[in-house]
Amino acid sequence: MLTTLWVLPVAGGLLIALLPRHFAKWTAVVVTLVELGLAGFVAYSFDTSTGGYRWVEHVQWIPQIKVDYFLGIDGISVWLVVLNALIGLIAVLATPASPEFRTSRFLALLLVMQGAMTGVFMSVDLVLFYFFWEAMLIPAYFLLWMWGEGGTFVAGRPAANVSRGAFPPQEGPRPLFASLKFVLFTLAGSLLMLVGIIGEFVFTGASSFNLPDLAKHQADPVIQFGLFFLFAVAFFVKIPVFPFHGWLRDAYLAAPTPMLLLFAGVMGKTGAYSMLRILVPLFHDPTWWWNWNGVVPVLGVLGIIWGALMALAQADMKALVAYSSLSHMGFIVLGIFSFNAQGQEGAVIQMVNHGLIVPALFLLVAWIQERTGTRDRGALFGLAPRLPVLAGVFLVVTLAALGLPGLNSFVGEFMILLGSWAFSPGLTAVASIGLVLAPIYMLRLFQGAMYAPATGELPHGHAGHQEAAAPALVDLRGSQLLLLSPLLALMFVIGLYPDLLTRVLTAATLGLALPWR
Amino acid sequence: MLAAAVNYSWSQALGDMAQISPVLVVSVALLVAMILDLVLPPQVRGASAAAVSLVGLVGAIVAALLLYQSRGHGAYSKFATGDDFAVFFHVFFAVLGILTILVTHPYLARRNFLQPEFYILLLAATAGMMVMGSATSLVTIFLGLELLSVALYVMSGFARRDTKSQEAGVKYLLMGGFASAFVLYGMALIYGATGSTVLATIAQAAGSDTGNNLLVLGILLLGVGFAFKVSAAPFQMWTPDVYQGAPLPVTAFMSVGTKAAAFAMILRVFGQGLPGLSHDWGALLAFVAAASMIVGNLAAIVQSSLKRLLAYSGVAQAGYILVGVLGAHGAGQAAVLFYLAAYLVMNFGAFAILVVMSGPLGDRDRFGDLDGLGYRHPLLGVLMTLFMFSLAGFPPTAGFIGKFFLFAAGVSGGYTWLVILAVLMSVVSVFYYFRVVVHVWTPPAAPEARFAVPAGAGLAIILSGVLALVLGLFPSLLFALAQLGAAPVVAAGG
Repeated sequence: MLTTLWVLPVAGGLLIALLPRHFAKWTAVVVTLVELGLAGFVAYSFDTSTGGYRWVEHVQWIPQIKVDYFLGIDGISVWLVVLNALIGLIAVLATPASPEFRTSRFLALLLVMQGAMTGVFMSVDLVLFYFFWEAMLIPAYFLLWMWGEGGTFVAGRPAANVSRGAFPPQEGPRPLFASLKFVLFTLAGSLLMLVGIIGEFVFTGASSFNLPDLAKHQADPVIQFGLFFLFAVAFFVKIPVFPFHGWLRDAYLAAPTPMLLLFAGVMGKTGAYSMLRILVPLFHDPTWWWNWNGVVPVLGVLGIIWGALMALAQADMKALVAYSSLSHMGFIVLGIFSFNAQGQEGAVIQMVNHGLIVPALFLLVAWIQERTGTRDRGALFGLAPRLPVLAGVFLVVTLAALGLPGLNSFVGEFMILLGSWAFSPGLTAVASIGLVLAPIYMLRLFQGAMYAPATGELPHGHAGHQEAAAPALVDLRGSQLLLLSPLLALMFVIGLYPDLLTRVLTAATLGLALPWR
Repeated sequence: MLAAAVNYSWSQALGDMAQISPVLVVSVALLVAMILDLVLPPQVRGASAAAVSLVGLVGAIVAALLLYQSRGHGAYSKFATGDDFAVFFHVFFAVLGILTILVTHPYLARRNFLQPEFYILLLAATAGMMVMGSATSLVTIFLGLELLSVALYVMSGFARRDTKSQEAGVKYLLMGGFASAFVLYGMALIYGATGSTVLATIAQAAGSDTGNNLLVLGILLLGVGFAFKVSAAPFQMWTPDVYQGAPLPVTAFMSVGTKAAAFAMILRVFGQGLPGLSHDWGALLAFVAAASMIVGNLAAIVQSSLKRLLAYSGVAQAGYILVGVLGAHGAGQAAVLFYLAAYLVMNFGAFAILVVMSGPLGDRDRFGDLDGLGYRHPLLGVLMTLFMFSLAGFPPTAGFIGKFFLFAAGVSGGYTWLVILAVLMSVVSVFYYFRVVVHVWTPPAAPEARFAVPAGAGLAIILSGVLALVLGLFPSLLFALAQLGAAPVVAAGG
């Protein structure tokens, strides 16, 4: 069953690469729908009465060094698998099927990336985990580079003069630069993690790569200190946590919208998920020069503040959302490292919430850009009267992002702060500044674009693909509203009925998955 | 000694010959190819030499497989053996030879080179490599080394009208002769210190006597020669020039073959002959490994020729493999054999694609020549991407699993610092491997004609690609074979 969950998108992707454009898109929709159905079935039939892994598949892979093909799903991963399937479906639907876009190849890479991320969420063996972790980089690299803004397959730019000559290219829209930067940043972290994985095998005396086995073998604090660092760097870069976010702006700005949904919505979560899955159970006491368990939440809080301040300073709406994402991920890190049930439950809920909100925000930004031709916050004003539906949807998402009670984010952030208060009131107080800053940058964005009084001519979009002469300011189309509706619905559902997520997590706390201290 | 020679019976002679049968098969094929070259009409000489070579190499594989798990006891007074270590390398070199012939045949015709001579030299070099795989005495090791080197000196200068090729031949000859002298001097000193050239006897005599300066000096000189042959820093200077000048198929053959043969030699001599002195040669190899990874990876970044890029990447890869040599006893040697097999498919595959691309006037190895490969020949583009990802060590390819084995052995052998260095340098390597990928998928400036891909070469490339993927997804079978192959060297050292 779990094998199907990751093989289906990968195999589907490889098949789709060979299909013609329109056929490819509908095949991809079918594949992702089936994937969502399977993931939903796994979540629906999830037995909440006990802890531990379900649907376990455990066979030997490289018996000589005890590497196993070991898949399992527990309370932490089940919602992330569903989230991945859902965002995958939305991303496929949001993919344009135009000839110059090379839709078949794009969808193929997108589905392979989705499959690899599913694998990350389900791996219980560290080597298998690393396998998927690295494999998801390859499609991400190609998607960022070739379909990134100004990239090879993007309309409005002659294909021939793209990225020729200088390597890496240094100016203009530079998807190649962004993709390389992303890959090198990530790789530096994850290859160190490879050393960490080997170190876990050798130095803990467990002689195993299975997470449950390794959790029982705690190494010497000094060794834990070193291994923790090797693992953590990989996750710091991926999430990203405060001083490791250098790739974020370039990559998010360059990313094509459908890919960005999966990239920002799910891939960042793989890092946070891995912290909860690997760092917390394997390293109870990583102390030498300092205690890492105390340092990481500080980095998280710094990320909250830094991300919020940077978001305040952005004119580009996409960059604004990117930095707000950095800020929100800081909360998740804080929750994970508060080392109590509330904080970590809140972190998992917040991973799902953030995975719903950020794709919605990026989609809305892309649609506004499509209609007006700009992402510059300052150039936009008074859109609400002309685009009432879009404005309404935007309002809901904005309020969800800034944590209004009744919508999903509030639940997660509240639980995180509750948990971290028990851990360190001081840090929590500082983190709350982020909660104050969030409304400032989000509402400024919303009010400015939607309700600000007119100050001149509105920029015109290139949107109406065929009808260039017609006014480009058309409201949200039905299909686009339909695309967003599951995200919006879930924002309300989780906000009003968070038990949907937490009941599974309570089950997880019963097992080995989250050893509290 | 004289009495032993007198009593040398027929049954013993046949037994000894059976132990080295793969080498004999290749040698016979070599002689047949030379004779046919004299008697056949000129038009069919090339094809017949290629056919004879192929038959000989396939025969060598069969002969090697017959030896499999025969626990060879050492032939010719323990100067050679047919143990599983030898079998592994016999099959390895025979496969390399077959792939090279498949790729080379159309290339030779296109560039109008002498055909039969090329195959004869190729067989000679392969035989030399095989001798190095089965040699268990310093004398036979040197014999194989010279047979291999002399054939390669000539092959490097095979494009006679190309001055760069001539330069490569001469440079390789001079530098190679220099290295051979080092090896020989080192061997002489070791012989002087231990009184024997047979590795098993040396191991007994040397023990773990680290105080013997003569022996340490011998190891040092031997290490210099070996480092030269695996093109490890700081003895890598010849590599880029020779790789660039030599015709592409020769580079492809040499880049994998010489390296593997030299690693066979290192594992034999250090693992089987001098295991007690691992502290001495361990420090030496650790330095060489670190230097190779740093020099190779940093120098590869700035190259503008693909051959030179792959040459420096080869220097770096030698550094990674040395991590395995230093690594934990048993796991390390097996990891080296596994990685060499992975290196065979990925490095040869990358070179083979360049061979197919080369025109009648010369090799095309500028980055610009790769532009649009992915659009002209999507399959070749995908495979080139696969080989580059494999060299860079990405899953799900053989290169990833190979590196994982090497690094795992390195960490459990106590060389964590070296592994961390290797990992950081791997990040650097991604930059230049991706540079190749970027050019493969960059639309060409002007639409270029598709070039024809000959069937044999296409088969060799696809086979390499499939293996690079399969070994990455299901590595356990080959790793089991690598463990069996490494067993003789490990058992002697344990």
